Order: sequence, then structure tokens, then C-alpha cells
Amino acid sequence: MKFRFRRQGNDPQREKIKQDLFAFNKTVEHGFPNQPSALAYDPKLQLMAIGTKSGAIKVYGSPGVEFTGLHKDTATVTQMHFLHGQGRILSLLDDNTLHLWEIGQREQCSSLEEVCSFTIPCRTAVCASYFSPYSATRVTVLLPKLNCDLLAVGTEGGGVHFLELPSLTLLDKSLFQDEIMQRWEALFVFSLGPVESLQEHPQHPDKILIGYSRGLVVLWDLQTRHVDNLFLGKQQLESLVWERSGNSFVSSHSDGGYMVWSVSSSTPCTNEPVSSTITYGPFPCKAVNKILWRTAESGAPLVLFSGGMPRASYGDRHCLTILQDSQHVTLDFTSRVIDFFTVHCTDAHKFDDPSALVVLLEEELVVIDLQTAGWPTIPAPYLAPLHSSAITCSYHISNVPTKLWERVVSAGQQQGSLQTHTNWPICGGKNLAPDPKQQELMLTGHEDGTVRFWDASGVSLRPLYKLSTANIFQTDCDHNDSLTQAGEEEWPPFRKVGCFDPYSDDPRLGIQKICLCKYSGKLVVAGTAGQVIVLYLSDEKSDHMIDVATVDLLQDREGFTWKGHDRLPPKSGSVVFAPGFQPVVLVQCMPPAAVTAVTLHAEWNLIAFGTSHGFGLFDYHRRSPVLARCTLHPNDSLAMEGPLSRVKSLKKSLRQSFRRIRKSRVSGKKRVQEANAHLAEQDAEVTPVQRRIEPRSADDSLSGVVRCLCFADTFLRDGTHHGPTMWAGTNSGSVYAYALDVPSQEKFSEQSVEALLGKEIQLMHRAPVVSIAVLDGRGNPLPEPYEVSRDLAKAPDMQGSHSVLIASEEQFKVFMLPKVSAKTKFKLTAHEGCRVRKVALVNFSSVASEDYSENGLVCLTNLGDIHVFSIPALRPQVRYDCIRKEDISGIASCVFTKTGQGFYLISPSEYERFSLSARVITEPLCQVRHSERGSGLDGTKITGSSVKNSR
Amino acid sequence: MNRSFNKSQPLRPLELDAVEVKSKYGAEFRRFSVNRVKPGKFEEFFKLIMHIHRIANMEVMIGYADVHGDLLPINNDENFSKAVSTAHPLLRIFIQRQEEVDYSNFGTNTLTRKKKAVVPLRNDLNRKRPHIRIGMPQDFRPVSSIIDVDILPESHRRVRLYRHGSDKPLGFYIRDGTSVRVTPHGLEKVPGIFISRMVPGGLAESTGLLAVNDEVLEVNGIEVSGKTLDQVTDMMIANSHNLIVTVKPVNQRNNVVRSSRISGSSGQSSDSSGSGSFPAITHSPSTATVSHSYAHDDLDSDEESDIVIESSVSRPSRRSNTSHVHLQTSSATPSPPSPPTRPQSRPPSVISTASFHSQPSLNGTAHNSLSYRLHRDLNLQQPHYHSTSTRESNGSLHKILSSLRTDPRNSLALPPGGVEEDGMVITL
Repeated sequence: MKFRFRRQGNDPQREKIKQDLFAFNKTVEHGFPNQPSALAYDPKLQLMAIGTKSGAIKVYGSPGVEFTGLHKDTATVTQMHFLHGQGRILSLLDDNTLHLWEIGQREQCSSLEEVCSFTIPCRTAVCASYFSPYSATRVTVLLPKLNCDLLAVGTEGGGVHFLELPSLTLLDKSLFQDEIMQRWEALFVFSLGPVESLQEHPQHPDKILIGYSRGLVVLWDLQTRHVDNLFLGKQQLESLVWERSGNSFVSSHSDGGYMVWSVSSSTPCTNEPVSSTITYGPFPCKAVNKILWRTAESGAPLVLFSGGMPRASYGDRHCLTILQDSQHVTLDFTSRVIDFFTVHCTDAHKFDDPSALVVLLEEELVVIDLQTAGWPTIPAPYLAPLHSSAITCSYHISNVPTKLWERVVSAGQQQGSLQTHTNWPICGGKNLAPDPKQQELMLTGHEDGTVRFWDASGVSLRPLYKLSTANIFQTDCDHNDSLTQAGEEEWPPFRKVGCFDPYSDDPRLGIQKICLCKYSGKLVVAGTAGQVIVLYLSDEKSDHMIDVATVDLLQDREGFTWKGHDRLPPKSGSVVFAPGFQPVVLVQCMPPAAVTAVTLHAEWNLIAFGTSHGFGLFDYHRRSPVLARCTLHPNDSLAMEGPLSRVKSLKKSLRQSFRRIRKSRVSGKKRVQEANAHLAEQDAEVTPVQRRIEPRSADDSLSGVVRCLCFADTFLRDGTHHGPTMWAGTNSGSVYAYALDVPSQEKFSEQSVEALLGKEIQLMHRAPVVSIAVLDGRGNPLPEPYEVSRDLAKAPDMQGSHSVLIASEEQFKVFMLPKVSAKTKFKLTAHEGCRVRKVALVNFSSVASEDYSENGLVCLTNLGDIHVFSIPALRPQVRYDCIRKEDISGIASCVFTKTGQGFYLISPSEYERFSLSARVITEPLCQVRHSERGSGLDGTKITGSSVKNSR
Repeated sequence: MNRSFNKSQPLRPLELDAVEVKSKYGAEFRRFSVNRVKPGKFEEFFKLIMHIHRIANMEVMIGYADVHGDLLPINNDENFSKAVSTAHPLLRIFIQRQEEVDYSNFGTNTLTRKKKAVVPLRNDLNRKRPHIRIGMPQDFRPVSSIIDVDILPESHRRVRLYRHGSDKPLGFYIRDGTSVRVTPHGLEKVPGIFISRMVPGGLAESTGLLAVNDEVLEVNGIEVSGKTLDQVTDMMIANSHNLIVTVKPVNQRNNVVRSSRISGSSGQSSDSSGSGSFPAITHSPSTATVSHSYAHDDLDSDEESDIVIESSVSRPSRRSNTSHVHLQTSSATPSPPSPPTRPQSRPPSVISTASFHSQPSLNGTAHNSLSYRLHRDLNLQQPHYHSTSTRESNGSLHKILSSLRTDPRNSLALPPGGVEEDGMVITL
């Protein structure tokens, strides 16, 4: 009621200010699309499109040019084709519908809009081969003619239908198998099988090559409705490709081979191919799913095909073979090949001269430079496989100083090997976005112990540098290198390509928390086995020992035995470190439970870290522990289990398998889906879900988990002397505040840091403390370390009384310091029924005026909505729905930037970027120029319907 | 102790308005008298008793035989003055040692509040006493109350559960369900939240004010419609220290019948700034409720005070687990600190006898402040009636009881826009 009261009397002036400060936009998706299913390329516009299983189409051009369209139905995009040069995309979904999309331009934004859709009508009369086991109308292949007026559609029934483009109207000139079989008495088969491939003759637009599954290939003349040539292939057909001249074509087959056929008007019926090769024979091989044949001015043609591996020995590999003369490389990927294309000359040239090969894999995009010897990979400026190892945490740094930025970039450049710096081959469209005003770093921690640094300043998330922490521990994975060395000599000539590696050598290496000081280049990385590593950025190679310290967080607490994993054994000798972040100290918490909170104050040379058992303070300059405090509640038994305990993992795996079952059901047909939904409903009604209403109690499990830590220079002991303090908050609503005695800069080495417990606060509602922040006398957050001493930020008000903002899962409270008397509060859960998941203090600047800005408390709740509150008054300002409440991993992964943007994972491999600020928005602004479109759709063009991915 | 008594006790045994007192402790008798008109304070009387019987420093309980021959406790000014004023002609006092007190005879365990842990009060289930026993205000911690009777539809009930200082679990579960609502377009099924289970012995069950299948309409004044089960759960847990749930009871026969006539006749609407407040009553003697609260508890019971432990001793705390601390509550509220860290300051005296009482003098302001807060947005200024009965007038007690009596006609009436009522919840 108080709440409602407060909201009354909306001040119009305040509303205007709020409009200038806050605006919610989902701006761009970073990373690699989840479950890609189709690939298309327009050589004229130089745009690439990726379709996904969720029905999204994402178009990419030169870096910064990207936009998305989403089908109304969540169905897999099975095929996509650009109508070359027109800015139109045809998509085929697995529900057998065809959709035509147009690239539209609204102000500075390109967008993708669906124009029309089409389903082949199921007329029984059309089903010519009724004895066929295939659905007559199920579309197998599409071929939009190069002049974009006609679309040929091959079906499972073996018929080829023709649609007018761009209206998608069925023309009455379908071609059925009977027609072919009647004309050629030589064909005595019952059915030719589904249409497997349709290829337009490169020289004669009226002729198309039709390949049927059973092996027959015909050259069909659209004008005369006549079969020009007939090729009697005997192997099951997989794909066809023309040679540029049109004098020959290549077919690939299910036995792992490919055949070259010559086309001549003199022999209308060819029985034998010019050549037939099974590259990886003679033992049975898997099918060659797709083959490309590209001529080169320099000599022999390039043959590129996917699959075809010897079934017994390498049947499980995901491979793509590049053959040219004697050169032979088998690209060995870690995930399935979805599709691939080459970037090559399409105009009046005599040769294809492919410059690049673009391979879409299930988990990443790999681009190979075909013009440089050795076919190196080209690093992609976007579509970064964020999930090359599962992301375990994310950390964002706004406004990175140029000095640090350059050093990180140069460290990253020294890491790259077997990569060329050829220009990115897909460079359509024009990026209109202004250069980012400031550099932003995104750090992702991964399960394999790596920390990846990404350039998050703009629309495309670019990898900068990769830090691995595994090399300072003794793990089982060390012999891996020797294995790959031995592989050099083997046949086929495998080459590992791509970086997606879902297998973690040791789950204990996983990164849990990251903290970086952007001014000093100090980095703290904390992991699953209680390891806290302090690193500093060095431009030189180094070979040194790492200091190891162990901090006992149990503090002689009796009756506890750790049943979880062991700590990671550090390497004993000296270790070689490449330029970049190099470890200084390794602190290992005992028991080695996962680190749940970490913070760094580089000016004081202190790190603080917490686990489910307690927290510690460590002086990394003197390499000495300052403080360890146990936060365990005596009744807490779960705290000793550890995250990898058997009980939990069994529970988890069961849950996962159930989820998998559910998922597989959903992907089935719609009717099944509905039936299941109905069933689920009934189930829910039979056993209603109950919730127990019980307040949190002190002996709830895992109450000792340290949730947040913070350093602040403030008033803890009395109102006249401020000094360094450290704050820790736990899962049970306890806050511990320590006054620190930090020696001055010169005396760091002689004098040790002292910590004195100043205050202990027990929040009555006992909800987990999510965040603690100290506000200065003006109610502004305290600046970061070094910002004051280096004149980088306005000095905080040290005259007025400071206050501490404690955000728990249920409410926000501001307490005055040093008395810790409650000043303001907001009970979010009591009012809204939602719980606080993530909070951040954010500076919102106004669009109306350069220098007007307000600090706000941004809060993401378990319902996935975002609230903004004023500080220190804690008045609600705005509320936006952001993430689906079922998307737990999305909510858990959300990070906010200091200027009002945020990121969360929409899939294991993609961040959604959003903006809460009306001023600071990072969105793709781009332009695609396409040729005039045909007039087929005058007046019927659907515009204005914004197609946005609303996940 | 004795000295102070001697100084202050105005004993005038020979005066006419003196009441003769016969005090019995074990086999010993003492006789003395007190002033009927100005009996003085209980504290002084207690000291006198202790002095006379020479049992200082013993933990005893004082009881008296009332006009009906019932043994009733004397432990505060009010019941002391009641005992003296009703003494006819002799005031018979019985002193029992704390540990020997037979609770089945004796209403309540009076002096334990500050001294001893709880002794189960209800070992008298077999010896049913037919009448309502009355306890003393101070001895009870409020556990629940019905509030805002005057502003709610009669089919609704707003229940306040006080969990402060109680070791009892709140003890109920909620679930999703479907309720039927009357709309201008006819009956409409809407999702609702219902109480699904009561934990035996829990606070919710012991109040008797909530029952399985009651529909939850509001939590601390916030409507739950449109909220998910998890949201409502979180809201209830966030408010658990002072939970106010508005329910539509599945059993509509015990509804409070609102009638302003009663309020008028009681003539006690003078300080009505908010709304009436009804203590809970029970429908069976075994489930019991006690209502109302201490003024100070109520003043700010919405305000939970976090505990701040300040380290007075500045010493390096590498082993800070044992560092000296002293307790202080941070905000101005004098409510007791949280259970786990505080010393046993207040034994959880659980009151569950089938008793009912009202205590306007103590709770009036407190309730008003709460209900005022709850309803000022509704801007209700209707004269409220108040449970103004005092112990002196048995009549007013009856009035309240009658006001709480069931009125079947009323319970079946459909309040406009309210919930369709047929006494059962339709769950599919």
C-alpha cells in the first residue's frame, strides 16, 4: 500500500526525465546461432544467411551488418536461397512451407520481413506415383533461377513444380516422373525416387539438371519441355554440381564416391561417367552429402566435399575434404557439417577462382582461405563460438583504458596461429553504426578453465585474447599435444579446424568468478575447486614459479568433513607463460568448494574471495592471508557435499534426461505436441503443485554461502575517520563488515594488512544478500580503485555521511554509516512476488542533455523482468519484461554494464544484448543496397511488421 | 523488596471498604485485607503475599477463587483489581509453587513469560471444561487476528498471523486451482490460489482461521490474481514475519456478521480512526485462537529490525569467530531481535487454550495504526466499532460473541463482484 501510495501523483516533469533516461531495447545477438540448420549466400550482395531450428533467419554481411527475421512458426529452416541481388530470401521449413523474405530498410536499420508464403497443395491427382513410399508434395530441393523469375521445387514424390517468383504462384507446368519414364522406354524402374538435386545450367538458363535419388540424372529443357540428356547413374545420388562451362557436371553418391559426367548433345543417353572416384575407399565409406567443383585459373579444379569418410574407422568424424591436384586436406571438425559454400567469381570470368570456403557447422562457422597456400583459416569477425567450452560466468568492463586495450589485443595477436589476416570474404552491406565511443571488454569464464576476452564495444563480439588457467595445474590432459603430433603422418590427412571443444578435461578447472582492475591490469580468476588466481598483464614471455597459498575457511570448525572433490594440484616447477595475463599467486581455499564471490582492490593489493564455507582476505603483495572467516551454520550438511557430489549429479542427470525426453517430444509433429500439452495439463490437474509457506530459517541448507564481497573506503568505526573496509554477504542474510588497516604504498612490504571485524548485520528476513555497495554522501556509488588517485573520476563526497546499500533476494535497504541505521528500503518480493536475481548500480545519462545523468539500481528478478530504482531513495522508476521466467540459465547469466546495457545467454552460444538506457544503445545500423526488385508484388508488399527475434 | 513494599503499601485493614483476604500457601493460611476501592498495584500485592508467607525468592503463582468457584490467576493489575472487586465477601488466594502448578486447574502459566521455558499448557484435553477460559493479556503473545471486518465483504476474511518470536512453523501450503467468479457475463472460471494443506500443530492450523481449500485473495494487501503460485509463495514468505492473508473461507458458516448497530450500542466509536478489529474465535474448543497484540509489537511490526552486532573490542580477528560482541538492535523498534542470535529473552509461550479475550485498552491504538495504514488508500472513514468490552462488563463480551455469531443468510448472500459462493471450491 505504501508502494501504491508512492506511485501516485505522477509528476509529468519527472516522467519526461524518465523518458530521456530509460528505454528498453533488445539490440543485437552476439555469438553463434543455436542449432543452425541452413546456410545461404548471395554472391551479388555478398550476404550470408543462416537459418536455425527455431525458425530464425540471420543475415550477415561485412562486420556490423546483421539482421534477423523470425518465422511465425517455430519450425526448422531446412533450406534457404537468396534471389541473387534482389535482397530476397526463400526459406523452406520442415513443415513443408515456403516463405519469401525481403530485406527492408527503415531509417538506419535493415530488417528482414516476410512477404509471402506458400504450401504445395496436396491434390491426389498430382500424386502421380501413388505407389511411392514418399509424400508427393514433400519438398526436397529448391532452385530459384538465376534471373529470379522462376522457382523449381523438387519433391519426394519425384515431381518438379514451378512457381513464379516473387509471387510464389504455382505455374501449370509441373514435371512428373511419368513424363520422363514415358519418353524413355529404357527406363523400366517403377520410381526414380525423390528429387535429390536441381541445378541450373550455367550457360543456358532454360535447362536444368534434375537428379533423382535412385541415381538417374536428366537435363531438362524448360522451354521445349523435353529431356535433352539422360545420365544413368547406378548409385544412390546425394548431390550434383555443374562445372562452370556447362560441359560437365559432378555427382556425389551415398557410397562415398563422386562421378564426373560429360554433357554433349550428341549422346542423349549416357551410361558411364567420365570418371568415378571413391576418395577414401576401398572399404565402405559414408555418403558424400554435398560436393562442389570449382575451376581455378592456376590449374586443376578444386573439389570440395563433405562426408565420404571410411565408415569403420572414421565414420563418426565430421569432415570436409579439399582436393586440388596432389593437395589433399581433410578438415576435421568437432561438430556436424550443416552446409558449406565457396566465395568465388560469378561474373563473366572464365574460372571460378574460389577465394574462400565457408563451412557452417552445428557449433561454429569456419572460413578457409583458399588462395593462400596451406589453406589457413580466416578468423571470423562475428559468429564467435562463445561456447567452445561451456560458459560458466561472464564479466563486463565498461570504458576500458586504451593502454590496457592495446596490450590485451597485442597479447591476443601473438596467440593466433594458422590464421591469416586476409580480409573477411563476406562483406556485403554497409555498416552505418558510428565507432563506439568507448572500448568495452566482455570476459567469459569457461568450463575448461579458460577466460576469453571479447571486444564488446560494437555489434559484433570479436575474440581478443584467450587465457588458460589449466597450465598451472597438474591435470590429465597434458599428453594431448603428443597425440596430435603423431597424427601428422596418418591417412586421411586430417587437420583439426575450429575451436568448439565441449569436453572439459577436468570440471574443477571451471571458472566461477572473474574480477579485473582495468587500470592496473590485475586480474583475479576463481574456479570450481576453490582456486583463486591473481594474474597481471605482462608484455613479455615469462618462466616462473607460482606462489601457492592455502586458506582454511573452516577455521577449526569441528564436525565438518568435506566430501566433495579434491583441490587441484598446482604444478611444482616453473611454468612458461606467453605474453598476456600471467599468474602471480594461487590461493587455494580449503575445503576446495567452488568460489562463489571474488573481488579485487588493486590499490590495496587485496583480494577477497568466498565459498560456501566462508570468506578470506589475501594480501597478494606480501603473499599472506589476512583473514579467514567461517560462515557455516552448524546444521548445514549440504555445504560439505561439494558441487560434484554423487547425489546431486544423479539428480541433475535425471533431470536432464527428462528434459531431453520432453524436448524430443516437442520437436515432433504439432499434433503430438498438442496432445502432449494436453496430457501435461491433465497431469498437473491430478497432482496440483503445492508450495510450502515457511519463513527462511537459520538452518536452511547452504546458508553459509558467501554471495557477495566488496571493498570500500568509508566510515565504519566512526563518523569522522574513513578508511578501507571489506564487506561480505551470505545466503542467510548476514553481512560482515571489516575495517582494514592497509599500510601506505611505501610500506606495503614491511607492514601487514590488518582486518578488524567492525559490524555484523543480520537481516531479519534472512534472504540471501545479492549485492553490497557503499554510497557516498551524495548518494553516488564510490568510484573504483585508482579512479580517484589517478584523477579519472570525481572524488566521492567524504564529508556527508555514507550509506551502504544492501540488496537481498527480497528487498533493498540503505543503511546509514557508521551507525548502520536503516534509512530507506524497498520490499520487492513482498510487493511483487518476485525475487532479486541480479543487481547493478548503473549510471544512466539522458538523451536530452549531455551532462545530465542519474545513478540507478538495476535489478533483474526471477521472473525475468528488470526494475530500475533511484538511489538512495529506492523509488521504482521503470519496469521491463526482459527474459522469459522459464529461462533460468538466461536469468543466471545476465550481466549489466555500468552504462545501462546488459547481456544474457539466449542459448549456450548466444548472448542477447539489451539496453535500458535511452542514450547508450549498441545496435546494428546498416544498409544493404540491392538491385531493383521485380514488379511481381506491387502494392502487396507487407511492411511495417517488425520481425524481431523475441526470445 | 520488602522495604519497598513497606514504604508504599497503603494497607488499611480496618476500613469499611476493606476486603478480607485469606491466603493459602500449602497448608499455611494468612489473613489480611486490601482496599476494595483502591486495591493498588499487583506488583505490590505480590510483594505483600511473598512477605506475609515469607516465601520471597520463590517462584510462585497466585490464584483466586472467583464467584463461580473457578480458580483464576492473579498476575497483573487488571485481574488483581478484578479479583478484589468481585471478592464476595472473602478473597480466597491460593499460592502455588511454580513447579507444582496444576495447569489443568489453573488457567494459565502466568509468570513464566520472563523466566521459564514453556510447559505444555494443554494437557487437559481429557478433562474438558465446558466454558471458555480467559487468559491474561500479558501472558499471551498474539498469534492471529481477524482484521478489517468492516471493510471486507462478509464472505472474505482477512487474517493476520503473527510469527514474531514463535518457534512454531507457519504451517500451511498453497496450490493452484480454479475458482468461479460472478461477472456481468455470468459465471467465469478463473485461476486462483488455494490453501492446500495445514501442518498439524502449525500456527496456521492452531488459529483455526484458515482452512484447507480457502481461496487466497490477497497477501498483505496485494491482490494475488494474475500472480503465479511461486510469486504468491515468495510474497507470503517475504511477509512471513507479519503475514496478512485475505481469504475466502471455504466454510462460510463462521463468517463475521457485520452490523453497525452493535457498534452504535456499544457507544465506543469515539476514537475510530480506522477500522474494527476482530479477535478470532474458535468453533471447536480444541482449536483455539488468541488475538491481539502488545502495543509496542504492533506499532512497528511491519518494520523488522535487522540486528547489528558491533564489535566493541578492536582486535585483530584472524579468529574472529569468538570475538566479543554486544548486541544492539539497529532501528528504534524495541521488538526483540531475531531468535537465533539473541539469548533466550522470551520463551515461546505458545497459547493454544480455547480462550478468547479482547483487550481494547492495549490494542486500540496499535490496531488502528495498522489498519489505518492498510486502508488509507480506500479512504474509509466510516465509524468503526471496537471491541471495547472490559473485564468489568460481561455484557460487552456477549455482545462481541453475538456479533461473531453465524448468520447463514448473510453468508449465502453474494456480494457484487465477489466470489460465487456455494461453500466449495471447484477444482478441475
